[in-house]
Amino acid sequence: MRKALLLVAATLAVGSLASAQIKIGVNLELSGRFAAIGQETLNGIKVAHAQLPEVLGQQVELSICDNETTREGSIACAQRFVNEGVVAVLGAISSSMSIPAAEVLQDAGIIMISTSSTNPQTTQIGDFIFRMAYTDDFQGVVAARYAVQDLGAQRIAIFRQIDDDYSFGLAEFFDQEARRLGARTLIQDFVSNTVDFTAQLNNIRAFNPDVIYYSGFCAEGAPFMKQLREQGFNQQVLGADASDDPQCPNGAGKAFDGYLFTGFAAPELIPNPEAKARAEAFREALFEMFPNSSFSGFALAGADSYNVVIEAIKRAGTTDVKAVRDALANLENFPGVSGDVTYKGTDGTPADRTIGFYQYKFNDDGSWERVALFGRSTR
Amino acid sequence: MENYTLARGVQDFFNALTLGSLYALIALGYTMVYGIIRLINFAHGEIFMLGAFFAFYAMLFTPLPWAVALLVTVLVGGVVLGVLRAVLSASSGSRQIILGAVIFIGSFLLLTFRAVGWVEALLISMLLTAVAGVLLEAIAYRPLRGAPRESMLITAIAASFFLQNVGQLIFGPRIQGFTVETSLNQVLTLNIGGDTVYFTGILLLVPAITAVLLFILNRFITQSRLGKAMRATAQDAEVAQMMGVNVNQIISLTFLIGATLAAAAGVMYALRFGQVHPLMGLLPGIKAFTAAVIGGIGSLPGAVLGGLVLGFIEIYVVSLFPALTAYRDVFAFVLLILILLFRPSGLIGEDLTEKV
Repeated sequence: MRKALLLVAATLAVGSLASAQIKIGVNLELSGRFAAIGQETLNGIKVAHAQLPEVLGQQVELSICDNETTREGSIACAQRFVNEGVVAVLGAISSSMSIPAAEVLQDAGIIMISTSSTNPQTTQIGDFIFRMAYTDDFQGVVAARYAVQDLGAQRIAIFRQIDDDYSFGLAEFFDQEARRLGARTLIQDFVSNTVDFTAQLNNIRAFNPDVIYYSGFCAEGAPFMKQLREQGFNQQVLGADASDDPQCPNGAGKAFDGYLFTGFAAPELIPNPEAKARAEAFREALFEMFPNSSFSGFALAGADSYNVVIEAIKRAGTTDVKAVRDALANLENFPGVSGDVTYKGTDGTPADRTIGFYQYKFNDDGSWERVALFGRSTR
Repeated sequence: MENYTLARGVQDFFNALTLGSLYALIALGYTMVYGIIRLINFAHGEIFMLGAFFAFYAMLFTPLPWAVALLVTVLVGGVVLGVLRAVLSASSGSRQIILGAVIFIGSFLLLTFRAVGWVEALLISMLLTAVAGVLLEAIAYRPLRGAPRESMLITAIAASFFLQNVGQLIFGPRIQGFTVETSLNQVLTLNIGGDTVYFTGILLLVPAITAVLLFILNRFITQSRLGKAMRATAQDAEVAQMMGVNVNQIISLTFLIGATLAAAAGVMYALRFGQVHPLMGLLPGIKAFTAAVIGGIGSLPGAVLGGLVLGFIEIYVVSLFPALTAYRDVFAFVLLILILLFRPSGLIGEDLTEKV
């Protein structure tokens, strides 16, 4: 009996040695304001992990940390990963949480891939910092061109969240391009957790805008849209990828009918047919594993942030962080589910990304759908 | 500024009045509790949040299957009766039984036969939140009666965090939409001096409900026996006890009333802004506390005045000085500091030795 026990113990010990694990950190907004996007991104990462659970013959373990949608939480997560000695960190989602974490991880020499931060500053923090998204100088310009050239806007009111890196930066890029194209703009500020927008809304009444650009998030977007319609504004509203969240239309109902926004390309908007087929296959895999998950570009970006790290480890042939970073920085045309990923010659922002235009459409019974309109490519 | 028309002024006035009324309702709970036991009940914002969620779930899950409804009404009825017994004097036993039976049968019928609308949800939520308020006091604060005031204050902060986290666990961390299809959401217009003022029924209803609740509260405090006992307890709990006032009962009653008002504010806040989430009580809670101090903590008219002042500042700062929008909250807190520096008893608060 004792012998048998010893044998079992020995097997277990040897077994655990053989399957030495590679740890990858996941720093996401799983509670708080951006919890809905955070959960979807996590689902994307988990599906990618299930599809590629090991590399170099070693199991990959995800160490998941909830930053609670706070900067302090994001820094605490980053510090935890430094202590755990992870190879790479996936996340955070938003620029405001990604930038402070990036500063910690760059100093510690750990790779970070923000899944969806779009503020240009994020990847400029250092050579260990990458992202899966396009940047806001692209998103803002594309949106401004659409507003002025396609919608024919002459006067645009811009609402920006002044205490958020993403929202503030995006509004600036939009504003510059819109004015360059000859439109007049009027900027209104608000801060996070604002629920009463009535005074700001009345500030734009005399300006009489043709189009309203909203660069904030859904937490404020829902009361914003509700009050916008209640105060008699019927103009077209154009938002950005922070609006790509089922929370938005749920939060204000029909006020969101017709709301346009830019966001990560959905599978049907990816121009490259092979990349499109990969994205569609991934969507099926995601719904198989998480039937109730929401699905958008956030899940694809989450999955690819995992995929490129695994690919870089494979190419480096080691888990030495420096070697993996070099392999990642030289990645060219990696066939990801969100499109081809190329980091070679960039600051850590993929060279070719497609931005999608979407619209929320409401049916008579109050249900809604997110209609993919068309895509525009950075290249 | 040259564009500031009369219509714009009217529009801003309504918006400010609505926001201010909500702050006032929450501030009343802070000020009453402070008046009675000198405790700043930091968990009051979370009581407000519970109020909004009770209404949210009442509307989401009704009509219930009859067995579930029976269980819920038995549970709720039992707790309500317990609270009533604790709060009201034991002598009115028969009245309690009749009241309990009416609430029991009424809520059972309501929960089984139809999906409740926002008015019923408001009433259900006020009832349930009142129970939550009394339980909070009984569990968290009563054992500390007689302990140094700092202990209670720290307990209040702990209770606030506890309820926030329990809220995230039970209700989920996501923001949920609170959209009610009612004619009150219809956009109405009014023509003033050639310009149009836009408003909705909710916008007018919030100050109206606030006014009604205030009127009832005022009558209760000034005219009823229990109100008199409350005032006596606020002035001096020990002497009031010697005069035959059951002080524990009065404190429970204070929490009950404060929570009821917070629930009304929570439901109207959700109706007005269209969303509920577990941390929604944080900011309104701090604002209402500020309002209570500005008005003079411990003073009921002070809380209402403070709430309105805050609502008007928030709207008119943005409206008159658009460049200062990012600082709208700063103005409120600067006013708080000024009041604390130059008039610590608040705008209409009496001398600090007086309460309620």
